[in-house]
Amino acid sequence: MSEYALELEGLSKSFGGKPAVKNVTWSARRGDITGFLGPNGAGKTTTLRMALGVITPDSGTARLFGKAPDAAGMDNVGFLPEERGVYRKMRAEDVIVFFARLKGVPADEARRRARALLERFGLADAARKKIKELSKGMAQKVQIISAIVHEPDFIILDEPFSGLDPVNQQLLEDIIREQAEAGRTLLFSTHVMEHAERLCNRIVLMARGEKVFDGSVEQALARVPRQVVLAAPPGEPMAATVAPFGDLEALEESEAETVWRLTLKSGADAQAVLRALVEAGVKLTRFEPRRPHLHDAFVALVGDERAGDVTDRQPALSEV
Amino acid sequence: MRASYLIARREYLSYVATWGFWLSILAVPIFAAIGGALPGLIQDSQPTRYFTVIDETGQGLDQVVRDSLEAQRRDEVRGRLEAMVAAMRGDAAAQEALAVFDQDPDGLRYLDEAAAQAGLGEAAAALGGERRERVMVDPPARDIEALRPYLTGARTVDTPEGERALFAAVILRPAPEAPVQIEYHSTNITSDGVSDAVRSVLRTHFREAAFMERGLTPEELESVMALNPVVVEIDARPGAQAGAEVTRADRAPFFVAIAIAFVLWLAVFSVANMLLTSLVEEKGGKIIELLLSTARFHEILIGKLAGVAAVSFTLFAIWGAVGGGLALLGGAVMAGMNPEIAALLGSLFDPGLLLAALFFFAAGYLMYGAIFLAMGSLCDTLQDAQTLMGPVIWTLLLPMFFLFFSIEATDSVLLRAASWFPLWTPFLMMARLPSDPPLWELVGASALMIFTTVLVVWGAAAVFRQGALRQADADSVRRFFRLKKNSA
Repeated sequence: MSEYALELEGLSKSFGGKPAVKNVTWSARRGDITGFLGPNGAGKTTTLRMALGVITPDSGTARLFGKAPDAAGMDNVGFLPEERGVYRKMRAEDVIVFFARLKGVPADEARRRARALLERFGLADAARKKIKELSKGMAQKVQIISAIVHEPDFIILDEPFSGLDPVNQQLLEDIIREQAEAGRTLLFSTHVMEHAERLCNRIVLMARGEKVFDGSVEQALARVPRQVVLAAPPGEPMAATVAPFGDLEALEESEAETVWRLTLKSGADAQAVLRALVEAGVKLTRFEPRRPHLHDAFVALVGDERAGDVTDRQPALSEV
Repeated sequence: MRASYLIARREYLSYVATWGFWLSILAVPIFAAIGGALPGLIQDSQPTRYFTVIDETGQGLDQVVRDSLEAQRRDEVRGRLEAMVAAMRGDAAAQEALAVFDQDPDGLRYLDEAAAQAGLGEAAAALGGERRERVMVDPPARDIEALRPYLTGARTVDTPEGERALFAAVILRPAPEAPVQIEYHSTNITSDGVSDAVRSVLRTHFREAAFMERGLTPEELESVMALNPVVVEIDARPGAQAGAEVTRADRAPFFVAIAIAFVLWLAVFSVANMLLTSLVEEKGGKIIELLLSTARFHEILIGKLAGVAAVSFTLFAIWGAVGGGLALLGGAVMAGMNPEIAALLGSLFDPGLLLAALFFFAAGYLMYGAIFLAMGSLCDTLQDAQTLMGPVIWTLLLPMFFLFFSIEATDSVLLRAASWFPLWTPFLMMARLPSDPPLWELVGASALMIFTTVLVVWGAAAVFRQGALRQADADSVRRFFRLKKNSA
């Protein structure tokens, strides 16, 4: 049995002469929760479609459970596409049973699982309702259940959190963790970096059709320059003292104090900055080393101009 | 296979498990019956036409018209009485009823008595003794200027129904080169029923008068006017018995084949539309993306085509069972009463024609179904789809014009040529079948149709693949044709 649920090697695809995916190689290890991130148009959907054999790559290979994608392999995959919908005139339970049976689950078992999952997702009362009678969030939960009802070993969720309220986002996070604890492999894409940061133990980042990062969350965060927020009354020799440690940028100025952000040079240490400031006699009113977030890593790796569609909560100044 | 079956099953149930489907099944025979009865209903619902005749020739022609119309009406009522009593009580009872009716040789005085004797009861109302299509009334004025207010409805005339406007005024004037000039005045310039009736009466009158002037006795005149050729149509087709007359049962297959061709056309048009709307709904509702993650393109395509085909076969099965049952029942009932009608009903179900219908439906459905599916895959909304449907709808409509004329001209060169066009072959070759087209034509056109079907399904699958993945849309088609136009 292959160590990987999915292996992509040198995948490339062009449409009308325009490259959509360029020589992409990465793999999803069994049991991992992999975040597949990137701005819109980065080539994520095309890569996933090639990975599942929906479209043929111009070059390169995709292996699902160690083999070329085939019907048996696909039956063991649960896929929630980004562009999704369900039959509006069908009942919620029937929709789930339909997709379970498409994946080879016997009818009775499909219905039993559908009811159990609807209960788990808080939709037991909606089981006999038509999709058109449900709210958007409820319909989305039915779609998510449809993707996992056949208990696949490999679950791919494309933007699973969009359209869900905070309570249901938390519920989905719990479900994702449960699935991972049950030994399943998860791959999901999201624009909300908080989810990826909390859930993933591995990140694959794409931009402009290319893979720009592949590693653990810690490795991604390590790519982000460390920052320290400093504050002192006006007239203190702040700039001269911290200049050797990195770039200083004034954020706020008032009569009482000036607030700066110091972006540390590679190898510089926040403790050394503090020591230098104390030794220089700077009257510090604030000294806060800032914990890097995945959003910062995303911006750093992808570039500011392409990262605009990432909707992470950029920490407000008061929070840093 | 599993995915295709499940998609087909879902597609099938999404139509069949609805009230609309069963209502539409009921609606078809109801609307067909209404369509069939419509000419009669329109005729019956038409108000009585009150007209007047002013004779300026001094020949008493107004009275001729009045007497003739009364006689015609009497003949019509007499015919209806005979037919109704014969159908309900048998021929002997019909003759007895006519004997009572004929006690008044010029009018309808004994109609009620005759109907009562035959035991018609309430059915007697259908004989039409009361309601009349046209009634001649005395002229309220003698010149057209004075008559005009009566024609426009400003003034009314006294009629058996009460005060009514005059529908028409007919002025008969002397003419230099004709026995009479009929001047017809009416505000209704499209209806020529009254004018035709007066002309017909007067033509007969002048011919009879001419014969009488030449010395014919009334009996001779009657026999002359009754002269009419007898037509005997002999079936000269290969295999027919020598001298065998053409019966309605012999003609039935021609009408049945055209009726089947119409039904095929209607079925193909309806179910192809079902496919289109279903796919547009799936595409617009982003369902296709979810389907693609569970099934391959060809499985979705086959599943959809099979599901909707099953819907149409359900329609055929229900209509066929009901129609066949009624024809068999009618045949059994009529066998003792009218063997010719029994034979006609028996000839409606020709297994050969039904097998051919099945074959042509399969080909037509696959061609148009695949085209409509491909179009649906390119569109997110029905509005998008409508812009693409135009050329296909026209291609589908054109054979209808051929079908209208095919009953009189199954050997028309144009019809024969048109039946070779693969997209029309299913309908036109079906209509031509009873006229025994040459075998080479049948085989050749069918082979071309099968080849085209394979080609269309293959092309549609390719378009469907691009459309489903959103790599092509309705604009792609427009761009493609614009490019072709520019490069031409």
